[in-house]
Amino acid sequence: MIGCLRRLLAVAGNTFLEAVRQKVFAVLLLFGLVIVGGANYFTEFSFQEQFKFLKDLGYASIGLTGLLIGLLGAAQLIPGEIEKRTILTALCRPLRRWEFIWGKYLGLLFLLGLMVGIMATAVWAVLRWKEGQLIASEGSDPAVADLIRGEARDPRMLQAVFLIGVKLAVVAAMAVFFSTIATSTTFVIAMTLMVYLIGHLQSVAREQWLESGETARWWVKSFLVVVSLLIPDFNLYNLIDEIVAGNAVHWRATLEVAGYSVVYIFVLLVAATVAFEGRDI
Amino acid sequence: MNLAVKTQGLRKEFALGWFGGRLLAVEGLDMEVKRGEVFGLLGPNGSGKSTAMKMILGLLRPTEGRAEVCGYRAGTIHARRQIGFLPENPYFPNFLSGVELVRYYGKLSGMGGSKLEARIEELMELVRLGREAGKRPLRTYSKGMLQRAGLAGALVGDPEVLMLDEPTAGVDPAGSREIRDLILELRGRGKTVIFSSHLLEQVEDVADRVIILHRGKKLREGRLEDLLSHKGEWQVRMQGIADGDRRELRVWLENRGVRIVSESAPRERLEDYFLRSLPQEVRK
Repeated sequence: MIGCLRRLLAVAGNTFLEAVRQKVFAVLLLFGLVIVGGANYFTEFSFQEQFKFLKDLGYASIGLTGLLIGLLGAAQLIPGEIEKRTILTALCRPLRRWEFIWGKYLGLLFLLGLMVGIMATAVWAVLRWKEGQLIASEGSDPAVADLIRGEARDPRMLQAVFLIGVKLAVVAAMAVFFSTIATSTTFVIAMTLMVYLIGHLQSVAREQWLESGETARWWVKSFLVVVSLLIPDFNLYNLIDEIVAGNAVHWRATLEVAGYSVVYIFVLLVAATVAFEGRDI
Repeated sequence: MNLAVKTQGLRKEFALGWFGGRLLAVEGLDMEVKRGEVFGLLGPNGSGKSTAMKMILGLLRPTEGRAEVCGYRAGTIHARRQIGFLPENPYFPNFLSGVELVRYYGKLSGMGGSKLEARIEELMELVRLGREAGKRPLRTYSKGMLQRAGLAGALVGDPEVLMLDEPTAGVDPAGSREIRDLILELRGRGKTVIFSSHLLEQVEDVADRVIILHRGKKLREGRLEDLLSHKGEWQVRMQGIADGDRRELRVWLENRGVRIVSESAPRERLEDYFLRSLPQEVRK
């Protein structure tokens, strides 16, 4: 058990270290931070609009940077190791293939967790800086100052960041699955992006179709059911938009989305393990 | 149970795309390697040496046949605990330092704590990458240093069998000699070493037995003495013999029906001459 944990953590640690020592990830993180910081210069709106804009852009930056880091990181996982052949010297050791896959995923999660943490801290710092700036210019009335503080210190930020992290974890699991059957990093990135887009569009397409009142043949229905089961519905994470709009979102709903995500992550990693188990290296 | 590695009817076919047919890489390979032996897998490029090694390591699944390592089916965790592997080219994560590489491989073998750290120190000294050299990133290493770091990584779990795929390919003569000496030292410690090479002089220096593969099939197998000795011939090297005595000896032998096959002054091997020419400190 301890040996298994050591092996898992060794793979995870090495994956994390490799990503951290690759400058491309630092550049991506910098890109995200610049977007977050740059958002602070839009000052011609009311303070509510400014906070909404800052949060919207901040969360979008975290999501986009995380998606890019997750995609690039996951694409390197298996095909990258096969291309560089470093996988040979890892898998010839007493390391089970599932430990390798799950360790790789864990390493990617560490990386995404760190990235989301840094960027969320940056968003929080920008909001607090904005708070100080707005209170100095518009907060002579204590009621307005309280409103500004309320916007800047909105605890729902934690919920939004949590949802972004969970969504990125699902995307990373998808990329890990594709990396176990792929022969190139391009294939992993293309397939993951395609499924990501379908996951965003599927509920919209379903609603459109239901509204149109059309009837479909049984095999079309079966196909759509299979698609909706295989591909996660990424519109569920639109709770983030509700949070940005200032609407109340219960933690229960957030945790339900997290539970749904955990099921998908588990299924994707099991599928990745099965696919990788029989693969010749 | 005195066998380190045993293969029976090992066969491997690769699919060449969807409509590309199949490529036969290894066919009907029977092989037995005794514990403590230095065993050479010889053959030209594409003869199936690396494929056979990968099947023994469990990285490739045989199409037919089976392989065992110390009595365990190849590819199982028990079998992989018995093997250390050094690949043909230094396929190591080059963002790590030498010490980090060995530590990573130690952890993958389930090791940890002070036991692992002591083992790393011992191995880095063995492969002469102790102190500062071990702390440098692998991307700054020469090919010889990379092979030595890889060898330390292969040995970290104290395996019974060591598999080296072309360990001296691309390494200069001095580095190559170091690796040869390490192989001999490991044999002295009771390890089984299986290595592939197409540098036949080096194989001759270290191997007890060899197998020769060609297009995936075994052509020859045996002890080097048995394979290379010229039956019915005898060779004598001597010093201090005068030219006249030599001619007289020749006549004496011919009078007794002996056919002289060759007669020449012995020559040093170029590798030995090259190494002897290097300054003392470089040789060390």
